[in-house]
Amino acid sequence: MDLMEIIKGRRATRRYEDKEIPKEDIKKILEAGIWAPSGSNLQSWEFVVVLDKELIEKIKMISPGLFGNPAMLVVGCINVERAKKGGKIGYPMAMMDVSMAFQNMMLMAYSLGIGSCPVLSFNKIALKELLEIPEHVDPILIVTFGYPKFWPKPPRRRPIKEVMHLDKFGRPFEE
Amino acid sequence: MTSLEDLLKSDEFKLLSFLITSARGCVDEPQLYGPLRLVDAAARLITIWEKEGKAPPEILKLRDLIEEKEYSVMYSEEEFIQFLDELSKELAKLIKEKA
Repeated sequence: MDLMEIIKGRRATRRYEDKEIPKEDIKKILEAGIWAPSGSNLQSWEFVVVLDKELIEKIKMISPGLFGNPAMLVVGCINVERAKKGGKIGYPMAMMDVSMAFQNMMLMAYSLGIGSCPVLSFNKIALKELLEIPEHVDPILIVTFGYPKFWPKPPRRRPIKEVMHLDKFGRPFEE
Repeated sequence: MTSLEDLLKSDEFKLLSFLITSARGCVDEPQLYGPLRLVDAAARLITIWEKEGKAPPEILKLRDLIEEKEYSVMYSEEEFIQFLDELSKELAKLIKEKA
């Protein structure tokens, strides 16, 4: 699949088939994640991969934004101690790093026919308790993965000429 | 009396958990996520009734409508509000004709 096709094809999927993801595909998705860029190469990220169905059900109970029955959850976290090495911008930088890692994972997943959906609506305190995440590690984003029942239609995109500015702000980049 | 363990495994407890964590989430989340969580809870309640054999087709239709249109909140505020209006109207029809 062409890269642009993968980028444009990825959709947030919230209804999944009851089907497991093969181990080799899981590894590809996770590996794509850790090859994302990271500020100062700090890699202040930690990821908790959840495959246990009962545990996924428990996480769903404390995550109002988590829909459907995904086969896998990846909980993206910031290792606050590592992020401190980035100074005052260490934490926001780590947020961007985790986001970029997840984008890699979601694109890799799509290329393998696997859907995904980022979830921010979860109870952080409850999630830390459930997954025994230590004090210095902050869960910031969950991404669900699974085989979608259908691929949702793409939402409208703000056009390039509206959001891209050429040389100075306000001068539209004409396509 | 139902044991705590049984209760914790029940769909009603899942709904309770959804309501509590939604309450906390709504403090920080976009304003329209409040109504989203409410209609989502309504759909979950209907699913519980369905499992218990208590949901007639008219009620299941409400759930189907929610599941079909609740995600419009991610794309269009106008569409989402129209959906809430439509849902309210369908509910009112049921109350008017059957209650």
